[in-house]
Amino acid sequence: MLTALLLVAGCAPSQRESGGSGADDVPEKIVIGATLPLTGAESKSGGRFKQGYELAVELENADGGIDVRGTKVPVELKLLDDTTDQAKAINLAQRLITQDGVHALLGTYSTALIEAQSTVAEQNKIPYVNGGGAATSIYGKGFTYVFGALAPVRNLATTEMEWINAQQAAGKLPKPAKVAVVWENTSHGEDFAEGVKGFAGAHATDYQVVVDESFALDGKDFSAILSTVRSADADLVMVDAHLPDFITMQRQFISSGMCAPVITYGARGSEADARTALGQDGINYILSAVWWNKQLGNTALNSAFIKEFTSRHGTDPEWYQALGYEAARSLFTAISTAGSVDRTKVRDALATLTMDSILPGGKLSYPAASGGQASYPFVVQQNLPDGSSPIIYPADIATGAGVAPNPGCKR
Amino acid sequence: MIRAGGFLAALVLLWISPLVLPISEYTHHIVGLTFMFMAAALAWNWLGGFVGQISFGHAAMFGVGGFVAARVMLATGLPFGLAWIVGGLAAGVFALLWGHPTLRLRGPYFSIATIGVGEATRLGATYWSGFTGGSSGLSLPLDGNPTKYELYWYGLYLLAAAVAISWWLRRSRIGLGLLAIKEDVEAAGDLGVNPVLYQDVVLFLSGAMVGVCGGFYASYQAFIDPSDMFSFDRSISLILMAVIGGIGVALGPLWGAVVFVIIQEFLLASYSQFYLGLYGALLVLIILFEPLGLTGLAARLARFSRVARFSRITR
Amino acid sequence: MGEFTTLAISAVLLAGFYAAMAYGLGLIYGVLRIVNLAHGGIIMAAAYLAWQLFERFRIDPFLAIPIALVVFFGVGVVIYLGLVRFIPRGPAGAVQSLLLLFGVWLIIRNAAYLLFTGNEQVIQTSYATSSVTILGGGFSVTRIAVFGVAIVALLGLHLLLTRTYLGKAIRAVAQNPDSCTLAGINVERVYLLTFGLGTALAGLAGVLASTLFAFTPSFGAGELLKSFVIIVLGGLGSIIGIALGALVLAFAEVFAVYVVPPYLTSAVGFVLLVVVLVLRPGGLFGQRVLR
Repeated sequence: MLTALLLVAGCAPSQRESGGSGADDVPEKIVIGATLPLTGAESKSGGRFKQGYELAVELENADGGIDVRGTKVPVELKLLDDTTDQAKAINLAQRLITQDGVHALLGTYSTALIEAQSTVAEQNKIPYVNGGGAATSIYGKGFTYVFGALAPVRNLATTEMEWINAQQAAGKLPKPAKVAVVWENTSHGEDFAEGVKGFAGAHATDYQVVVDESFALDGKDFSAILSTVRSADADLVMVDAHLPDFITMQRQFISSGMCAPVITYGARGSEADARTALGQDGINYILSAVWWNKQLGNTALNSAFIKEFTSRHGTDPEWYQALGYEAARSLFTAISTAGSVDRTKVRDALATLTMDSILPGGKLSYPAASGGQASYPFVVQQNLPDGSSPIIYPADIATGAGVAPNPGCKR
Repeated sequence: MIRAGGFLAALVLLWISPLVLPISEYTHHIVGLTFMFMAAALAWNWLGGFVGQISFGHAAMFGVGGFVAARVMLATGLPFGLAWIVGGLAAGVFALLWGHPTLRLRGPYFSIATIGVGEATRLGATYWSGFTGGSSGLSLPLDGNPTKYELYWYGLYLLAAAVAISWWLRRSRIGLGLLAIKEDVEAAGDLGVNPVLYQDVVLFLSGAMVGVCGGFYASYQAFIDPSDMFSFDRSISLILMAVIGGIGVALGPLWGAVVFVIIQEFLLASYSQFYLGLYGALLVLIILFEPLGLTGLAARLARFSRVARFSRITR
Repeated sequence: MGEFTTLAISAVLLAGFYAAMAYGLGLIYGVLRIVNLAHGGIIMAAAYLAWQLFERFRIDPFLAIPIALVVFFGVGVVIYLGLVRFIPRGPAGAVQSLLLLFGVWLIIRNAAYLLFTGNEQVIQTSYATSSVTILGGGFSVTRIAVFGVAIVALLGLHLLLTRTYLGKAIRAVAQNPDSCTLAGINVERVYLLTFGLGTALAGLAGVLASTLFAFTPSFGAGELLKSFVIIVLGGLGSIIGIALGALVLAFAEVFAVYVVPPYLTSAVGFVLLVVVLVLRPGGLFGQRVLR
């Protein structure tokens, strides 16, 4: 009966043409829409992206605004809170596009939310630049309006493994080393796990994967997965987690008396929040690989960014703010290059953009070959007991020496 | 017959109005989504209202329907309408799978069991990332999928089907049987009603309809993830719509769905932090003062005005 | 062997927390025949109370337990007098009370969002990450302390129910409210005190949970469900049954890592719930369900 209804009546008026008249006029102001997880699980990271977006907008407006064909047009940021909820991120983006008529979108934070939201942007053919979605799956769908400033997570895992490999070669770690891969059940985590397992597979005599388990995002209790890791007695504990899960898991890890010669939580560990939540003893010797670090700050662009940021917030920027700032800046640059807020023109400008950047490598572009995802080297850091987190790899930019195995473990 | 006529007239009116009235694009989209919620709430009511078995786990069928439909679309390129139906059938079968054994529990026992089913399904679905995409979810292809603009009408067909089934369930012999089961299962058995068969039929229909709604939702959002599709809050939203509208009343949940969506949309952007409490307060007030929800309230008002008019005439 | 012992000890420790979590729900169900769906909300609210006491006044969560017991006894009394009292007893009221208390839960959750936002909180005590070694395995000091409190609560509750007049009245009402009225027990008053006591116990569970887990306003749903599982396993409405049910659930979850991926261990409880409800509605330990 239902079948019949749907098939017989299976017709619907098709989309009316949405008015596109005057899209090429220079507007009085440029409205950029964005949602961020300002509350909920990712609120800490979301708040830092907000600082990055707002700084970029503020600096642009201090200069009169974006230069569109010779006219300086001020930028307005319309920022909503998606409460770390995928459905809400979709609905709010939809609302920004159809209700508020924004000219372009900046992305939310974390792979899972961007995976959801980028679909809306593509559906509505509106430029979407994010600084918080690193999983390659976001960029592998053939979307043409979605651009990401974070380099792929898989490279993060491989870069960390390269450092570990050097330590093993120096005889500091057992051979073969037992590897536990524990990853959040998102495409972010999958990429990380593939990176680790791919590296271990290519060096099969040196590494043996003994645990390969996933966990749900926003877990409150990780004792089951930790007991698996404990019984496998792993030498390398390679975890990929977002900030809240990292804090919860590391807390349970230590409180159950566990210790590993090498432990990493992917990009987490060097944040000020981690130190506050876990104490210095709780984060010692954690290895992390990030997209940006203030110790890179020797170029003029970098030092200007750090100075402007520090004078406003009184704290040093971390990679979250830097990526938010760069994502927004690249969008502004593209609008200026396009000389228009026309969605297609801005998209084309983003696709061909090459911009001087504060990110490692000094240039930011969104190559079509990787689906609009930027690519540049990672920096590996390690937390040391004196409270510092020097860059320990790659060697040419290292600001300190790494330690392996963790001297705190009684073995 | 008059009611059927009115129903058809309303359908035609709703079918034409977006073409002639100056409705904003956003409102148009939201109304389309509301039709789906109405259909899902009606379907929940077949089990929760007609049989009196309150399910806290209908998100399981919504999710199964949505993900099966999405996978079918991705894998076979089947037209979306058919994919929804495949998803609905899968959801109906899934409902029977857990429901057949649990339906012999009554009252709170059944409700508690459905919470367990819902949560176990959610965990399983999130874990099975090969099928559902895990915590990252699943994006649908953008071409071949209807636009939100077109989905308005498909939502309307969905609603029409749900209303028709509601009437049929209420009016047919099955409807009487269900009432008997709701009153007293053992006595119903003595009357020659087969409670197991009747409840299985209703559960299958309810699960399948909610599953089709899940498929619609997948097409509407063009992205689904297990933590949203299978969430406890989604099961709850169906209960809320039915309770607000009038639990057990054939078309009561329709009004509940409207209230639900209005609250949701009104508070979405700026006051999203208030909606849980508002639902909670509504639930408490309705249970304490008007167990038949808006329908009961309307009946009470109608009676009141009739009495008022009557007393004016006699005076 | 060592690994087995470690898992077994952690299962026992977990069971302690689980039992504490289920006492309140079990007591209210046993006497009033009401499933308190606000249970999870109370657990969450108590976690926030402990967090506030710790952040503002530096009161250790374990010392905050008496405060939480008093506060949530009061909350329970208010909920009973203001709402639950008006719901009819018996099967007709069962579903109504379910929905009513669910509404209360939503309101509590919303209040917590407004007061504390949806951000995740933890209580960072000085001993939060300390551990001790027992039989070759490391165990969190906090978990051991929580277990101790749960045992004390079990003994206290047992003594209350068996040695005091109130306790005897509660048990009598649980068995047969009608004859109690004849015997001159104020049944309504017993209901009131039981609801208050059950809510206070949920408060206790919340304080304990705050020392173990990170929490947000939506915390408590999983705890509510597991509490159900436990009282169903233990045969609805018996305190010793609850302790046994908690042991079964904890062992099933902890040892499930041998059979299912760690990800799915929390689903074990729900599957167990459905299976037990369908196959042995009287609980694993053979108690008849009282109607």
